[in-house]
Amino acid sequence: MRTESYGEGQPMHRAKIMVVDDDPDLRQALSLRLRANNFDTVNVCDGYSAIAMAQKEKPHLIILDLGLPAGDGFAVLKNLQQYPALAGIPVIVLTARDPESNEKRTLEAGAVAFFQKPADNEELLGVIRASLQAGWGWRAGLPS
Amino acid sequence: MEHEPAHVLLIEDNPGDADLVRLRLVEGKSDVHVNCVPRLSDAFACLDAETPSLVLLDLNLPDSHGAETFRRIMQKAPNVPVVILSGQDDEALALKAVHMGVQDYLVKGEITSKQLERALRYAVERQGLLRSMEIARKQQLEFKNRFLSHVSHELRTPLTCIHQYVTLLLDGLAGPMAPDQTDYMKTVLKSVNQLHAMIRDLLEATRADSGKLRIEPRCIDVGELVRQAVAMMRPTAAEKHVGLEVGLDQTIPLVYADPDRTLEVLINLIDNGIKFTPPDGSVIVKASRVETDPTAVYLSVGDTGRGIPAESLPQVFERLYQDPNAVDGNRTGLGLGLYIAKEIVTLHGGRMWVASEPGSGSTFSFTLPLYSLAKLLLPVITHHGRLRDAIVLVRVELTPVSKSLRGSWKETCQRCLERLRRCIFVDKDLVLPPMGTSGPVETLFVVASTGMEGVTIMMDRIRDQVGALPQLKASGTLRVTAEPVPGPPAVDPRTLEQQVWGVADCVTEIIQQDLWSKQHVTEKENQKNAN
Repeated sequence: MRTESYGEGQPMHRAKIMVVDDDPDLRQALSLRLRANNFDTVNVCDGYSAIAMAQKEKPHLIILDLGLPAGDGFAVLKNLQQYPALAGIPVIVLTARDPESNEKRTLEAGAVAFFQKPADNEELLGVIRASLQAGWGWRAGLPS
Repeated sequence: MEHEPAHVLLIEDNPGDADLVRLRLVEGKSDVHVNCVPRLSDAFACLDAETPSLVLLDLNLPDSHGAETFRRIMQKAPNVPVVILSGQDDEALALKAVHMGVQDYLVKGEITSKQLERALRYAVERQGLLRSMEIARKQQLEFKNRFLSHVSHELRTPLTCIHQYVTLLLDGLAGPMAPDQTDYMKTVLKSVNQLHAMIRDLLEATRADSGKLRIEPRCIDVGELVRQAVAMMRPTAAEKHVGLEVGLDQTIPLVYADPDRTLEVLINLIDNGIKFTPPDGSVIVKASRVETDPTAVYLSVGDTGRGIPAESLPQVFERLYQDPNAVDGNRTGLGLGLYIAKEIVTLHGGRMWVASEPGSGSTFSFTLPLYSLAKLLLPVITHHGRLRDAIVLVRVELTPVSKSLRGSWKETCQRCLERLRRCIFVDKDLVLPPMGTSGPVETLFVVASTGMEGVTIMMDRIRDQVGALPQLKASGTLRVTAEPVPGPPAVDPRTLEQQVWGVADCVTEIIQQDLWSKQHVTEKENQKNAN
């Protein structure tokens, strides 16, 4: 299991976002941007690690690619629902696949939003903040 | 040669001719089964029961005449070879039929069994060839579409990477940049966006080719869409010093169209207009009714550009058409925009065309179908031939917690709509198709055949049922209100249909005011944000 972890030792009031993408360059870029916007990030590169890392880190939100090794995005969405502690984490799908045949499916599988790559950064950040604020059990001290 | 006996369907109403042909058929060496019918309707019944190897067709039958006969038979059985039996006087018509896809013709009275046998064999053979060509063509198209769709997807990944890092640099997340560097990066970003648009067009055109382009029509105020498109294109026009004007009729009825797709068409046309108009020229966007056509709204985008030469006019809507004279540094894109635009309009049941005068400009026009509320309302608000006593309009407002939810918010609204449909009585209430275009607030309307007291039960049910949707709970809020729709005067001499029209007008007016006021609020907010 390969993971990259950022933001350790940061004060507890920052929201933690887990980025699941098999492209290391994209993971890095997205993490950079998220950290610049006062989020902590945890990065994983495959479907299996996503579940393991989610159990360990309990992220407040997950950004999920669909095409992944060791269990694709749909499998991750399904597996998250198996664990009561993880089922409530909002998942935003960020994928190169087309929305026509994937958006509905991912939302039915439990994702809160669907973005096609390349996504507009501000829109993505807006939805991240909105999803966090929408009250999945974690409200206080959100960066805005 | 085939070993199985050939099944010939002979369609001939003259018993003498029929017998003669039948005789010639069985005289031949090959094994032939003949089924003879005198009318086209009988032939259709035979074709339903069994597919023959070949149809022998007389053109003048009791129930069909001339060209109509072979047109209908070819439509009914496109894969069965047809050979025409013509008289000496209608050989010209038979020849025309051959041009239109009939395999051959034989002149009655001159038919020998040998000739007949050969004509039959060739006809079957040729038809088979045509069919395998058609199958190959379809396979090729399918392959091309799969290929394009795959390539577009694969191109997106590296493009996303470039986009991510360029925006990181531009936003200063990797340290400050010199002004020149920022400018260059902006140029990179612009090209990335162009490339992105091209990939999108490629996918769209592929979808259009394979009939997979989808629209989600709603009841919309097209004037609002025009204003929205113009507002979005204003910066581009200003950059090129091209004027951008709007000409809207005082009142434009609601149309039934997909707002996102229609906006896409408008933006495409305006963008083209600006591209081909020199500085200080202008582009004007209009929407109006046309007296001769009560079923549609006419939209047009006119420019004062160099126009399109007459010989190019028929090609502008074709795939990959690019202006051969575009030398002034315009990147014209893939040349798919107009093709996609026309496909979108056609999917709506509209038409798109262009008029142009070289040297003075071009005007692209299209139509969108009007939305007829009265037609929808008729079965719901009438009962035993008269208007129901009381009609109430229920308004269900869904407000997202964040304006930028977009795609998933649309999906959430869709779910609310489905749930809402289960909260009503189908025979006396009606959930109207989603209304309006812009703005994140989704308002759904229900026309209920009940009074203000009775409607509270429905409103409670809506609050319970729709309000319980987890997606809505997570991302938005629900508000349910109702207002009575004024009925016609007690003693009304008008027909029931006219009364329904009256109610439909009232409902439309309430809805339009509602949409208008929302639009107004959004505009005000935008202004406030802009300041």
